Amino acid sequence: MKIKATFKACSMTVFGAVLALGALSQPAAAAEWPTKDVHLIVPYSAGGNTDVLARRVADLLQRELKANVVVENRPGAGSTVATARLARGGRDADHTILMASPGHVIGPAIYPNLGYDAVEDFRFIDKLVDMPNVMVVPASSPYNTVGEFINAASGANPMTFSHPGIGSSIHMSGELFRTFTKLPMVAVPYQGSGAALPALLGGDVDVSFENMSTVLPHIKSGGLRALAVTSPERSPFLPDVPTIRETSGYGLDGFVTGVWNGIIAHKSFPDEGVDVLREALKKVKETPEFRGFAKEMGAAEPSTASGDEFKAFIVSEIERWRKVAEDAGIRN
Amino acid sequence: MEHLSEVLELILAWENFLAIAAGVSLGVVVGAIPGLTATMAVALALPFTFSMDPVTAILLLVGIYKGGMYGGSITAILIRTPGTPASACTLLDGYPLAQKGEAKKALKMSLYASVIADFISNLSLIFFAGYLAKIALNFGAPEFFWLICFSLTIIVSLSGSSILKGLMAAGLGITFSLVGLDPVFGSERLTFGSYNLMDSISFIPLLIGLFAIPEIISFYRKKCSPHIKIKASGASVSWAEMKGSFKSIIRGSFIGVIIGAIPGTGATAAAFISYSDARRRSPNRENFGKGEVEGVAAAEAGNNGVAGATLIPLLSLGIPGDVVTAIILGAFMVHGLTPGPVMFQENLPLIYALFIGIMVSSIVLLVVGNAAIKYFSKIADIPNEFLFPIVLTFCVFGSYAVNNDIFDVWLMFGFGALGYVFARNSIATAPFLIGFILGPMFEDNLRRSLLIGANDISIFFRGPITWFFIALTIGSILLTFKSWMPGNKKRESGSLTDKRYLENRKELLSPADK
Repeated sequence: MKIKATFKACSMTVFGAVLALGALSQPAAAAEWPTKDVHLIVPYSAGGNTDVLARRVADLLQRELKANVVVENRPGAGSTVATARLARGGRDADHTILMASPGHVIGPAIYPNLGYDAVEDFRFIDKLVDMPNVMVVPASSPYNTVGEFINAASGANPMTFSHPGIGSSIHMSGELFRTFTKLPMVAVPYQGSGAALPALLGGDVDVSFENMSTVLPHIKSGGLRALAVTSPERSPFLPDVPTIRETSGYGLDGFVTGVWNGIIAHKSFPDEGVDVLREALKKVKETPEFRGFAKEMGAAEPSTASGDEFKAFIVSEIERWRKVAEDAGIRN
Repeated sequence: MEHLSEVLELILAWENFLAIAAGVSLGVVVGAIPGLTATMAVALALPFTFSMDPVTAILLLVGIYKGGMYGGSITAILIRTPGTPASACTLLDGYPLAQKGEAKKALKMSLYASVIADFISNLSLIFFAGYLAKIALNFGAPEFFWLICFSLTIIVSLSGSSILKGLMAAGLGITFSLVGLDPVFGSERLTFGSYNLMDSISFIPLLIGLFAIPEIISFYRKKCSPHIKIKASGASVSWAEMKGSFKSIIRGSFIGVIIGAIPGTGATAAAFISYSDARRRSPNRENFGKGEVEGVAAAEAGNNGVAGATLIPLLSLGIPGDVVTAIILGAFMVHGLTPGPVMFQENLPLIYALFIGIMVSSIVLLVVGNAAIKYFSKIADIPNEFLFPIVLTFCVFGSYAVNNDIFDVWLMFGFGALGYVFARNSIATAPFLIGFILGPMFEDNLRRSLLIGANDISIFFRGPITWFFIALTIGSILLTFKSWMPGNKKRESGSLTDKRYLENRKELLSPADK
């Protein structure tokens, strides 16, 4: 009996010890994420802005995580093909992250039956950069301010704006401007910024809401004139150019838009991974390499939105673009 | 020339020449592998250039681009699988030549035409960048519209013996090109609810399927009967052939230069326009599509003429005309340089150094190309029983690699079946391809013009460039009608039908194959 009791006590002790060890090892395991290569999905073709940013971030992240960060391009349907695949989860979902962009919040407004919920199916890890768009007119254009531009537009003189493709942030910025001002405006689609830019420089279209990094050289060389930036505050790259919401008297007070990039993951992504990644990305954003590159893209400072703030941003953006797309008649 | 010493200091570094050699070699290999395009290689090489000097970095990327432009033709000629979209046109005469046992001739001609066109393109970049850039800026949607109209008249001349079948094939190509989202309204067209089709049909799976798969099917169908074996031995290009094709190469090069200088058109269209122009003018036009070495020359001159010229809008205006130049623009920006008029004022030595490097890359292309021909020709030594399964593997891999998507592999097989049906029914594939490439450009520019002009059609007649292309279009149509008038013996000119290939093949079976 005694032996039996001793054995029981021993086994209970061992069991307890194992449990305790298990409990203790929990945080230890957390520090171990990643346990294998991390896959960073780029939902666009190689070579674009998002791709180049992703490759630079992967490089810096690799140093922080001490693990490989493999970049994979899965282009298609304005980033929604890759996002749909991420939403499906799968074996590597705990080590797969995606470089999201405005396509993530504009997609639900443009494409029917995405097959995923752009909010509930994901975890929003960290927003990296915010870049304004710039409202630009050709140098030959008679308009010098947003007010002059709005006053000149009428039913007999509808304004045309170029954009590099349906659902791009440049297109939607134009549509947002139309929604705010109720101006007669015609969207003219081009295949990419490379084709859209000559049309603007050559004066074929009246205006565009192009990305800062694309038009900044042309503003400096005098080919284009910046009327306003779309960010909430003026950009340090164009300190003399007002923001659109500074234009008083036209109901543009709430006009803020732009381009952003952030890291998202599948909803099943582990908490440990989220913590490790946020910590690592915080360090990445402080590196001079990242800051330098963000500046080239038109972001004066890296974004600070993380976690709930990032998620709240996504939710409000989806709602906003859905309304804009409905107003513009581009919702399927 | 007060900058001379500075220029020499910038360019005369061993890293630059290594970058050119490595870039061109990498480009040729990547270009030759179906599914891997020069664009992809340039994009993937970009991160490696961040730590390099700007001149070295740009030359590496330009080298890859130029190598890739040429490399695609190797597999197009040898195994009827275009390595890059731009080499699809080279295949029309390159592969029949290879079937006749003259693969070496086709490969060499393709290399020489590429190098000459590349050289002319570089010279145009150096001497006429300013003028060409101005033309490019005046090239709006209506001008584009007429350029595409003119290009579409090619369909008739590439239709082979039956214009009706050619037009049907072109119509089918246009129909496939409509799949995806409407460019203006964003509504779905012909997607049948499929998510994968929403982003339109990928070009590379279509190309691979259309050309390579029918060959594989016909090989296995005829496995018991004798099958022709490609030989890479045989004669090289003779001086007479070079002389005969020279005018086409020069014209093709300039067609490439003009198309390259206009943002957003692309090398594939340039190759087809050059090819059809050469065919129209050539005394050997009846032989086009059946293995005419001049056809190979014209197609390659057209697509390589684009390479240097795409840098014109980039360097002189700061506008990237295609994805590759957009990536190169990124490389400039990373090094704190902004291409455009300002760069010509502030960084003139750097631009001159780049020009020298780009000229050197043409010579490197000749050397690397010759080596590539020597090694890639060994493909032809592989017995067919082994070669075709390998080609099939590459077809699957290449289609998958474009978007990392298995859907594209199914698409490739689908187009393979279509290509086989075309071949069995003597329907030319070239009009299908042209319809697929030019159809969307036609629609985009038509609708764009109407949007810009507020539905006023006078925008289509707005200036000298539009009138120039209207005249060309009308001229081209009249010429076609003339050759189709009853009693004109040239009517039967140049069939491109695949059945003819098969017929040729029977005649060409060498005793060893029997």
